[in-house]
Amino acid sequence: MDQYPDENEEFELQYQDELELLEDLPDEFNPYDGPSTSKQAAEKQKENQAPLGLKDNSRFGNSTLGSPQLSQISFGASSQLETEDAGGGHVNRRLFGTPKGPPAGRGCSTPFQRMPAIQELEQTQLTSRDKDANTAAEKLQEVGLKNVNKRRLERDLFGDIDDLFHESYEDPLVKKARTEEQRDHEAIDKILELRRKMRESSKTLRKDDVSKLKDLHDFKMRNLSYEIPNWPFLAIQRSDLERIYVRFHSEDYEQRQLDMVSARGEVVGSLLGEAKDKIWQEAGEIVLSRTASESEADVTLVATNSTTEPGRLWVEKYKPRKYIDLLSDEMTNRSLLYWLKMWDKVVFGKAFHSKQEQEAMAGEAGGGGGGSNNQLNSFNKRTGKFESNGGWRQRKSRQALNTNVDALGRPMQKVALLCGPPGLGKTTLAHTIARHAGYNVREINASDDRSPEAFKLALENGTQMSSVLNTDKRPNCIVLDEIDGAPRQSIEYLVKFISDGVFNKGKAKGAKAEHNILKRPIICICNDVYDPALRPLRQVAFVVTFPPIDAARLAERLVKIAYREQLKTDFGSLIALAEKSGNDVRSCISSMQFFNAQKQCLTLQDVLNNNLGQKDRHQGLFAVWEAIFRIQRPRKTLQTDANKGDEPAQVTMTNMSVNTRVRNVLDAVHSSGDYERLTQGVYENYLQQKMPDPNLTGVCDALKWFCFTDTVQHQISRQQNYSVYPYLQYGFVVWHLLFATLAWPKIAFPTRGFEFQQKSTNQRNIFQALCKGVTTSALGVGQGKTLLLDTVPLLKRILSPQLRSVAVQLLSPKEQQDLRHTIEVMVDLGLTFVQVKSQEGHYVFQTEPDLDALSTFPGFPGLTLPYFSRQLIAREVDLERIRRAAPKGGAPSAPSVAKKKTAGSAAAQLPNHLQTLKPKPISEPNMRSAPKQQLTKDFFGRITHKTTSKNSTEEAKTDAIVKSPIWYRYKEGFNNAVRKDVHIHELL
Amino acid sequence: MALWVDKYRPRELSKLDFHKEQAENLRNLCKQSDFPHLMFYGPSGAGKKTRIMCLLREMYGAGVERLRSETMTFTTPSNRKIEVMTVSSNYHLEVNPSDAGMYDRTVVIDLIKQVAQTHQIEISGQREFKVIVISEGDELTKDAQHALRRTMEKYVATCRIIISVNSTSRIIPAIRSRCLGIRVAAPNETEIVSILQSTCKREGLALPVELAKRVVDKSERNLRRALLMLEAAKVAKAPFTANQEIPDLDWQVFLRETASQIISEQTPGKLEKIRERLYELLTQGVPPNLIFRGLVEQLVNNCDMSIKAKTLEFATEYEHRMQTGAKHIFHLEAFVAQFMNIYKKFLSELVMTDDF
Repeated sequence: MDQYPDENEEFELQYQDELELLEDLPDEFNPYDGPSTSKQAAEKQKENQAPLGLKDNSRFGNSTLGSPQLSQISFGASSQLETEDAGGGHVNRRLFGTPKGPPAGRGCSTPFQRMPAIQELEQTQLTSRDKDANTAAEKLQEVGLKNVNKRRLERDLFGDIDDLFHESYEDPLVKKARTEEQRDHEAIDKILELRRKMRESSKTLRKDDVSKLKDLHDFKMRNLSYEIPNWPFLAIQRSDLERIYVRFHSEDYEQRQLDMVSARGEVVGSLLGEAKDKIWQEAGEIVLSRTASESEADVTLVATNSTTEPGRLWVEKYKPRKYIDLLSDEMTNRSLLYWLKMWDKVVFGKAFHSKQEQEAMAGEAGGGGGGSNNQLNSFNKRTGKFESNGGWRQRKSRQALNTNVDALGRPMQKVALLCGPPGLGKTTLAHTIARHAGYNVREINASDDRSPEAFKLALENGTQMSSVLNTDKRPNCIVLDEIDGAPRQSIEYLVKFISDGVFNKGKAKGAKAEHNILKRPIICICNDVYDPALRPLRQVAFVVTFPPIDAARLAERLVKIAYREQLKTDFGSLIALAEKSGNDVRSCISSMQFFNAQKQCLTLQDVLNNNLGQKDRHQGLFAVWEAIFRIQRPRKTLQTDANKGDEPAQVTMTNMSVNTRVRNVLDAVHSSGDYERLTQGVYENYLQQKMPDPNLTGVCDALKWFCFTDTVQHQISRQQNYSVYPYLQYGFVVWHLLFATLAWPKIAFPTRGFEFQQKSTNQRNIFQALCKGVTTSALGVGQGKTLLLDTVPLLKRILSPQLRSVAVQLLSPKEQQDLRHTIEVMVDLGLTFVQVKSQEGHYVFQTEPDLDALSTFPGFPGLTLPYFSRQLIAREVDLERIRRAAPKGGAPSAPSVAKKKTAGSAAAQLPNHLQTLKPKPISEPNMRSAPKQQLTKDFFGRITHKTTSKNSTEEAKTDAIVKSPIWYRYKEGFNNAVRKDVHIHELL
Repeated sequence: MALWVDKYRPRELSKLDFHKEQAENLRNLCKQSDFPHLMFYGPSGAGKKTRIMCLLREMYGAGVERLRSETMTFTTPSNRKIEVMTVSSNYHLEVNPSDAGMYDRTVVIDLIKQVAQTHQIEISGQREFKVIVISEGDELTKDAQHALRRTMEKYVATCRIIISVNSTSRIIPAIRSRCLGIRVAAPNETEIVSILQSTCKREGLALPVELAKRVVDKSERNLRRALLMLEAAKVAKAPFTANQEIPDLDWQVFLRETASQIISEQTPGKLEKIRERLYELLTQGVPPNLIFRGLVEQLVNNCDMSIKAKTLEFATEYEHRMQTGAKHIFHLEAFVAQFMNIYKKFLSELVMTDDF
């Protein structure tokens, strides 16, 4: 019964194609959509045997059955001939078989524009009927709620309607015509329904059939004709090929008729929105007050109501079933839906047009199609208006939806990642939108096995197969719920899965590769988007952050539920409940159910007194710091109410009292819990706050508390003694009381402590490298801190001799001595210079380990060596290292002498190179075997002799050439350099 | 052995330049068979380590100077790998457990106990024990010290421990009582001057006495520092002159500047700048107690008599409190703020009394 053609219906009419999707869904039940079709109404009509008082009704009968004979039976003669309105006329015309052509020349008499009027009519009718005020009030209540609810929706929706669903049709003209026809049908249904209700509610008298007949006849006489009439007409061909001319009425006439209808509704008032709103408001108030007063009487009723559905959670019961019911932020919903629609091309094969294309198309159609010019113009005009309102696309830029599509027509971001605190309806949104867009939802949540293997299987099944058993062949949409709890490998697999399609396509384009391409949308849901495991996913996903729901909006929904469940409550307490729960829908509804089961009423006192509905919220660090540095302004309404409810004696207590402030700070601090970081944040920000006291007494007090906090924390971390943990929180109270102001505090994120730690670690590492390098011959430089504090600063000076930039040989004796000293020190300490590329791009010599970085303070010079000296020293240090690494056998001259000796003694056995050149003397066994071998007989059996030994001696003589220590050997194609033995010490 | 501190370091007890009587006592100690655990204590740069090395040479001969350095890896109970540098000869092992930070207990348990348990392989003509030298013993945590005390008793047959500390105050009494404490006082001014002059003589340089005295002043009787300063001065300007500039330690200068900034202005904004400087000092590894000391010295020198006592009182209080915590910056800043507070109060009172 709640099908009222209000503004929302109008909206639905206008965007019929969008709503079509809803209607596609067989299991979708539309609670706002009355099931009464015209056929049903007609049957009812027959049963009633025309208990009709109004001529409209008669026409209704006529129109539904589409046959003049039948309608004539039910037709009652009526004196209200003049009430036939254009709408009725239009109905008739339609039923006589209007062709689907463009409504040429009909001007503004489209049902669409009539809608407000009809709505008004219905409004007035409803409010006027006192007899069944109860039911009417009920309806009104709902209307009111819906309106409050939807008015906002409208506002949000209108800006972007045009680009949301661009079903592409071959010809925009045809499209216009079709949608218009549908609108007409809708309008007809609405009107008929309305009239029927009106009839029923007014319990009109039964008119006699004759007057009805007369009525019809008159009507027909005036509006229909078989010959060409003299009034403006539209020619229509009936099914029996009879040509009929239907009268056209002017707009004024139409309006007049409408006015008359509404006037008959016995309400004298404006039809403008102002009065309507007032009426709605009044009605809402009446209903609210009545429910409040009547609840005692209704107790028994409620009891029966609640027992009818035992064990069903309200959360389930009032779960949004369709898109329009969603409570979450409209922009969020829209962007997600838009994303999902971008999949249409791949999934459904329907083209999806981006906004620009759509506009271009509309403009073209507007220029070309003369017939539908009117329609289009208004359409375009509206678009312009909405855009000026700021469409969601302009505002949603931060949502970072990439509207581009890839080569296959898929959106660039193949996964949507919904994130937000619990209880905002993320899962509901995902499900609703997926169903809305025509998908079959496959959910994988934390309760399923999410090991990488199972995950893989589920993903592949979900994206590449469709269920056989299901009769409707809807494509799957995978919803990965609670993904932040999934193992990292699974998420990595998911990311690979998403990007794999692209990769495969590039690699090989075959039928096989096609299979791997992701062709179904995937929606992931998580609470914490910054979970480390989600990092890879976050980069490729379309991240949709859920803003918290507006408390008032939530409360509106709660009011509705409360009304349905007949829970006695008021708006204020529901707002309080919403705020207390942090706008968690689920928690609110559950709390309401609890109160309902308890005592069937919910007052503000209950809300404030109970711990219900309060979840362990995690507040951001900045929110806590703000709570510390800022005195909260009193929130009057709630707080005074609370005081009144709690202890009426303390109403005078203001919110600014120290007591309250302390409690607020403690609450805020508790909600975060990370005391260490909070402390650091306060520490790095407190000096920026305003301090009235010139002697820094406050600062001293604050610092005492910092010291105390540090001590306690140290105790805890060192001894795992958590019994002192509770004392940590009171420091924040002191800091709040010392530094909090009413002004907005400037709070920077504490980075200094972290930087300090990083830098200290860095320094420590350099220092450790330095310690390791110190050789055993330089232990006098000390160890640990001594080395760092005493030696390093002075070492820098010691290692900075003044050298001219000349060759080593040209240095003065003093300089040479300095250089020698420097080099030795560096080698002792394991230091050297290495060439590194600086940030500016040029090469510098830097000490390794980086002595310059140690013990450096801004404004103090480090090593003052110029580039040249460093280069020189680096070379010399390397040489010295090699020298030291050489085997120690005394002075460098000594081993060479010894080697010469050994060389001399080994002169008998030739040096290596000579040995290789010298042919091997034939050894004794060879000599012995040789005769044996060479006792080969010749052809005639004589023994032949070969003089091999002679040859060898000859070759041995040629050895004299290569006996000198310099030799050369030709190596084929490689090198024929002269070679000589060189020892390392000769080079140094 | 290029640095003067290494080059002219005495290697034998007989060649020590100061505390000769004590050197004689040590030599006598070596001659006896029952050699106790030793604890050398004294300020930095007084020659503790030199004395220990001389003592070891006296006991084991020149073989103790054949040093090798090794890096040992330990695994803590929490499965963290730590590396500790050791310097050892055949007869002794030198380790600095504070390298391991808070895991020094692991070092004491693993390394020292393991070394202490093994016997000397060749005992021909040598002692039947090895020596473990623990440097920077006062950095040992309480846990590590407690781990050490039983080791000292149990393995006394195979090893002796020589601890080198700056101050005995941070050594638990149990260890103190197990060791023979040997105090190595910092050399006095004349001793340092003579050492510096003999060093220069061997280097072939002439050192004016005035310069030597200034070096001593600047080095705060820290012999190592004095020698390094002299060497650095030599690099800057070769033939020494009496009024030559002596290089300072950067961090000391920085600290002095910080103190003068505190005196110059007392506002929250200044306090924040001071905090940055303190962070800088801590980052560069200057120990917070040295920062405290440096600040207090400078502040006390620059303020009125009436608030000197208060300054010292607060300094002790905050430094003590710092030992109970881990974030030194809080305590340092608290002290600075407190000083600013009393200094500012003092100044305003001064103005008021002037008015009357």
